[in-house]
Amino acid sequence: MPKNKKSSYLLTLALVVVLYGVSAFLVASGRINKYVSGILVMVLVNIILTVSLNLASGFLGQLVLGHAGFMSVGAYASALFTLNSGLPISVAFPLSILIAGVVAVIFGILIGIPALRLKGDYLAIITLGFGEIIKVLINFFDFTGGARGLRGIPRVVDKSSGISVEFVKFSYAFFLAVLTIYLITAFIRSRHGRAVIAIREDEIAAEASGINTTYYKLLAFVMAAFFAGVAGALYAHHLGVLNPAKFDFNYSVEILVMVVLGGMGSITGSVVSAIALTILPELLRGFSDYRMLAYSVILILVMLFKPTGLMGGYEFSLSRLVRKLRGKNKEKAEQEKVGAAK
Amino acid sequence: MSVLTAKNISVVFGGLKAVEDFSIEISEGELVGLIGPNGAGKTTVFNLLTGVYQPTTGSITLNGQDVTGKKPEQIVSIGAARTFQNIRLFKQMTVLDNVLVADNGSRTYSVASALLRTTKYWKEEKAAREKAMALLSVFGMESLADATAENLPYGKQRKLEIARALATNPTLLLLDEPAAGMNPTETTELMETIALIREKFKVAVLLIEHDMSLVTGICERVIVLNFGNILAQGTPQEVTSNPEVITAYLGE
Repeated sequence: MPKNKKSSYLLTLALVVVLYGVSAFLVASGRINKYVSGILVMVLVNIILTVSLNLASGFLGQLVLGHAGFMSVGAYASALFTLNSGLPISVAFPLSILIAGVVAVIFGILIGIPALRLKGDYLAIITLGFGEIIKVLINFFDFTGGARGLRGIPRVVDKSSGISVEFVKFSYAFFLAVLTIYLITAFIRSRHGRAVIAIREDEIAAEASGINTTYYKLLAFVMAAFFAGVAGALYAHHLGVLNPAKFDFNYSVEILVMVVLGGMGSITGSVVSAIALTILPELLRGFSDYRMLAYSVILILVMLFKPTGLMGGYEFSLSRLVRKLRGKNKEKAEQEKVGAAK
Repeated sequence: MSVLTAKNISVVFGGLKAVEDFSIEISEGELVGLIGPNGAGKTTVFNLLTGVYQPTTGSITLNGQDVTGKKPEQIVSIGAARTFQNIRLFKQMTVLDNVLVADNGSRTYSVASALLRTTKYWKEEKAAREKAMALLSVFGMESLADATAENLPYGKQRKLEIARALATNPTLLLLDEPAAGMNPTETTELMETIALIREKFKVAVLLIEHDMSLVTGICERVIVLNFGNILAQGTPQEVTSNPEVITAYLGE
């Protein structure tokens, strides 16, 4: 690894550790109440959903209208596993996260193979249909709890252990969100990620440059589905109850709005807009009936004044910021020197 | 040894025979021009040779391998790269990334290796960058590596497209009207560039062109297409003095 990369990685890692330390302390010590820490977990769940959808819609450029469908598949798979496995929850939950991801991947492959072999926006229609069909199927079957929903999903940690449930939930969510951001960023900044972006830019030219477009389209789409499944597992064990009505078309659109608002192809943008659009409705509790109205107005305004989203394609980089600040300080010092010499 | 051999390829769209019984043989390092009036089927020939269209009949052999019916990306990996008549760059990507995309086939690190940032990843990325920069410097564009592709001036975009095609390590380069929209100075410069890359990268070149000064200036052999059929072929001098060719271009 080159030296400057190493220092930049370490710097980012330090920021993440500090961020986690401070917020985990606040949650564990009870300085943040249960309601607020619950919102924090939802923020992190939405970050995972938004960043992963950005991979499929922002970087790959395929419109996906059923991200909540993949989330629901993951949520139900993980909840059914922890309910029925008989393993202690501290083992069963991490396992169920992986299972959620894998089940979502299987559905992603089943949908992706026919849709992504074609050029054009077929994926939008198929994922839209998938989201609706999954909802109907969950309502239909008994083992999913039907329309009554799935209840009594175990907490992420044994009560007898004496560790704060809120703290453990937050830690899982934080770790998984950071992992998602890292993995998708690492993917994008590799030959595979460049191939995915090239397909968005010009599919015919990508083919002519030796890119196997079907493979890379499927890969990016399935990766997005995996993380949606992971978010579903987190969501299921956060609430303890699953209601099929939650995973409707509106929720898929909500996630897409977060991606578009933040900027297609900007992971920083996805994180920022996921935070903003999760907290905003909570602040506007009194007006929650008008939330979808507010969404559409926000979306129209952004599309009018900043069609590329809040961040466009910009990515935040801590090491760049440090370099900039250092550069400025140096300049200042030099100017002072010059001033003193005069 | 011949790089490309196409035997009697034809393609039919509905009732239209776009290309009929087209045969061509290109040997190593040769520079062949493909000319013809508008709608003669020149770009269709390119699309057939690069796998965008599948020929209805006939066979295509590239570097000793039968590539008839193969997909475009497979044909690229066997050694034929192309550019497009209306430039197709990855507009929002940087100049360097445009070249790196085409270099994808030369690298072997896996997705897992990219996610875990293994030593192999860093080594191959470094090698890819060095190769891409070397390629850009051939075109005098190394200082533009971080520029966004769509912000380049027209002539530079054409060059970047050729650089990108070369990044796939081709033995045959197919250039679709590389001088389109260029002024005479730029065309002369382009001629020099084409001669240079042929020398440096040991590639055979098949080029479609309307600019006769470019064709007669650098091509060793010219094939004239008209209504999907080969009308004439030979040296530039032979072809331009052929009365049938003159009739095809200018009418009776």
